[in-house]
Amino acid sequence: MKAVYIHIPFCKSICSYCDFCKVFYYPKWSYAYLKALKEEIDDVYMGEEVQSIYIGGGTPSSLSCKEIDYLFYFIKKFKRASFCEVTFECNLEDITDDLLKVLKKNKVNRLSIGIESFQDQNLCLLGRNHSFQDAKEKMKKIRSYGFSNVNLDLIYAISKESLKMVKDDLRLFLKLKPDHISTYSLMIEPHTILAHQHIKPIQEEIDRKMYDTICATLKRKGYLHYEVSNFAKKGKESRHNLTYWNNEEYYGFGLSASGYLGNVRYTNTKNLFAYLKGNRKGESQILDQKEKMDHEVMLGLRKLKGINVAEFEKKYQIKMSDAYPLTPLLKQKDLTLKKGYLAISDDKIYVMNEILAKMI
Amino acid sequence: MKQKNIRNFSIIAHIDHGKSTLADRILEITGALEKREMVSQVLDSMDLERERGITIKLNAVSLTYSYQNEEYLLNLIDTPGHVDFSYEVSRSLAACEGAVLVVDAAQGIEAQTLANLYLAMAQDLKIIPVINKIDLPNANISKVKEELKRVLGFQEEEILLCSGKTGVGVKELIEAIIRVIPPPKINNDGPLRALIFDSYFDPYKGVVGLIKVEDGILKKKDEILLMANDTSYQVSEIGIHTPKEMQKEELKSGEVGYFCAQIKEISSIQVGDTITHKDYPASTPIHGYQKMKPMVYSGIFPVEPNRYEMLKEAFEKLKLNDAALTIEPETSDALGFGFRVGFLGLLHMDIITTRIEREFSIPVIATSPSVVYKVTLTSGELLLIDSPNKMPEPVKIKKIEEPFIYTNIIVPSEYIGSIMELCQKKRGIYKSLEYIEEKRVNIHYEIPLSEIVYDFFDKLKSYTKGYASFDYELCGYQESHLVKMNILLNGEVVDALSVIIHKDFAYQRGKIIVEKLKELIPRQMFQIPIQAVIGSKVIARENISALRKNVLAKCYGGDVSRKRKLLEKQKEGKKRMKTIGSVDVPQEAFLSILSSEE
Repeated sequence: MKAVYIHIPFCKSICSYCDFCKVFYYPKWSYAYLKALKEEIDDVYMGEEVQSIYIGGGTPSSLSCKEIDYLFYFIKKFKRASFCEVTFECNLEDITDDLLKVLKKNKVNRLSIGIESFQDQNLCLLGRNHSFQDAKEKMKKIRSYGFSNVNLDLIYAISKESLKMVKDDLRLFLKLKPDHISTYSLMIEPHTILAHQHIKPIQEEIDRKMYDTICATLKRKGYLHYEVSNFAKKGKESRHNLTYWNNEEYYGFGLSASGYLGNVRYTNTKNLFAYLKGNRKGESQILDQKEKMDHEVMLGLRKLKGINVAEFEKKYQIKMSDAYPLTPLLKQKDLTLKKGYLAISDDKIYVMNEILAKMI
Repeated sequence: MKQKNIRNFSIIAHIDHGKSTLADRILEITGALEKREMVSQVLDSMDLERERGITIKLNAVSLTYSYQNEEYLLNLIDTPGHVDFSYEVSRSLAACEGAVLVVDAAQGIEAQTLANLYLAMAQDLKIIPVINKIDLPNANISKVKEELKRVLGFQEEEILLCSGKTGVGVKELIEAIIRVIPPPKINNDGPLRALIFDSYFDPYKGVVGLIKVEDGILKKKDEILLMANDTSYQVSEIGIHTPKEMQKEELKSGEVGYFCAQIKEISSIQVGDTITHKDYPASTPIHGYQKMKPMVYSGIFPVEPNRYEMLKEAFEKLKLNDAALTIEPETSDALGFGFRVGFLGLLHMDIITTRIEREFSIPVIATSPSVVYKVTLTSGELLLIDSPNKMPEPVKIKKIEEPFIYTNIIVPSEYIGSIMELCQKKRGIYKSLEYIEEKRVNIHYEIPLSEIVYDFFDKLKSYTKGYASFDYELCGYQESHLVKMNILLNGEVVDALSVIIHKDFAYQRGKIIVEKLKELIPRQMFQIPIQAVIGSKVIARENISALRKNVLAKCYGGDVSRKRKLLEKQKEGKKRMKTIGSVDVPQEAFLSILSSEE
């Protein structure tokens, strides 16, 4: 069983913080792109059953409904498992009856919407523009089409943001009753608009306070904190993203998409024109046993539940405590071992790199 | 060669007054070297010496010159011009009958001019004052002449003028050396006495000693006795430098040359020792021998711990040619394995560490230099302490004494106030002040040596915009109120940062170190107290608050390899840190604290 990621690199506007691979939407290219994408899938897909399909970007909703319909037409090729999770990323302003109809028709069962914030000051800095009223109406429309699994993205620790603003965002997000919330402390990545503007990250102390506030609030409102940055109502955890954190295999299709198949982690070219010509090859890395194990630790410990030790040991034929210095870390309460799961202690999730650096 | 036609002399000068260039010119005029053979400043053979314009190792060159139909043998004995090596200078001067005192025509008398002159006078040498660099556009010959007459008591007609650069006046200088400096006292009979004034290591011949024969004759194959060392050898080779080596059968009274005796370790030959015949020994050695004692000690550690063995080899090689260097292994919790090294002074220390980094490519960290303290215990026992970590518990100490120096600080008179302020700050005791000329003074203070090794040179420069010249001599031990200050990290002593310091300065220094550590040590998963303490009393404290965030906020498919690399980087960073009291301390923190002051 595998997962499938499909990258749609087009956007109608460029957000200041985004370091994903994207270009302005341009119909001549988008059509050529879909054709190249179809070719890639035809070449690479081996016919396995898939448990999740994730269409991300860029902004997949920047495509026209016709193009989206075409995309779903050729990805019918994927043999969907009966419980297959199909996620489509949207921008709030793209959500229309037409879009929702196309998605519904093609059995999309999960929407992920990049709202990020409702604070004017934040939206201005992020290069976004929408209102809470707008979101409320769109949410209502989404629900009316029967979508029962909706994720909202929330960004915090935006330069000059106050804890009060984060609390206000949380209040408004909760009013929209999402099934899932992904929340990120703003990272100023190189080559983004923010980096060029020399925007400075917020103070570590405040960042941490915001994170703790978010965790406590969402927990109180019945969301399960299941990964460093992800919260879900019961049963609404992202199956697709869990593929990554469980260190399971997935296809990556499209410009700059990454995949993990067999012993190989690969990333397609980031050059649109090369991709359109069918020169898809980017970087790839063959993993040895140790690297696979390290990835599994590094990714698996992002889950608050942690890593199933017995499964790990069975998979790699090695005692986990022989491969990693667990004893001192357990003693220092950096790690916990509960019901066969090895996890980072709750209060140390936000400094988990310190612990990982001692392990891998 | 008639023994009465021998002249043994040195050239002494303040740094940069043109001593080496003048020596080159003398070599050229006497035909020792053709002009095309000359590498500028032949006597300064190490690159480092040439670069710093100072002479570290001594050399002796035998030159011939015809004057009034007579052949003369001129033995030019070079001296290092720095206070660190003043004992070696005094032994070289002891081999001479005269000295050429070189003074820069633009600068005039400086501190080392005086220090070197006093050493020469102590050996009863005949002094020839010469004003050098008279070709400089800013030469002020009449002013410098005035200084020489007024401060040093020379007569107008004694003072020569020359330029080592153009060669003007150098011939006249050579002839003055022949005329003015007396020949050595000749005593070919009687038991052999030869003064060792320098030595170096030759990979083929073993240790080569430079000597001046006072009494008797030294011949090849002689059985000799080193009087202070009480060891005997058979002479395998003797000769002179012209500057090329020229073997000889014998060296007679008054002559200067070298000898070898299959001696493997440089420490077997001590500068200042007397050579005599084993079977017919002299009754008394030549006066003035002292065992060389390091003045400054420092822990030297490789920046990369795996270079310890290489560092050891480097020190062994350097020691072959440097009898003054003392080395013993030292272990530090903070810096790992290294050496406690004794130096003659700060320049010596600087030269050795620079050579290790440059010639052997081993980056090193040096802990704060320490002088040798005399510690009297309540039991009455006297200890010599050269490292803060060897200091006994305060309750056991009755008193601590530290070495003091007596200064010559020559400055333009407008800086008198600045110098006094600086010396006062450095616990100096004012002694006297004298005018060298209308606008320049020589200021005398007694200052603890430990203050000089801390940051005195840098401070002196900044207080006087570089106009001060400075020299000193040791003037004994005095009792001081000293304490050992420790730096604690999460409750544990960081041995590399302990210092012995005057009680009144501890608070300020402690505060600086503690603040700096706070800046340099990254936040960790727990709060880290940093304290400066004397005994159990905390005098400065800072906290590094606990790390609050170190996480990859988002981590999806495409990110994995990149994020993994990021973690690898963090892990590599941790590897380069030393763990002290469960705190990871980057090496740069030690480097930064130990390499900079205030």
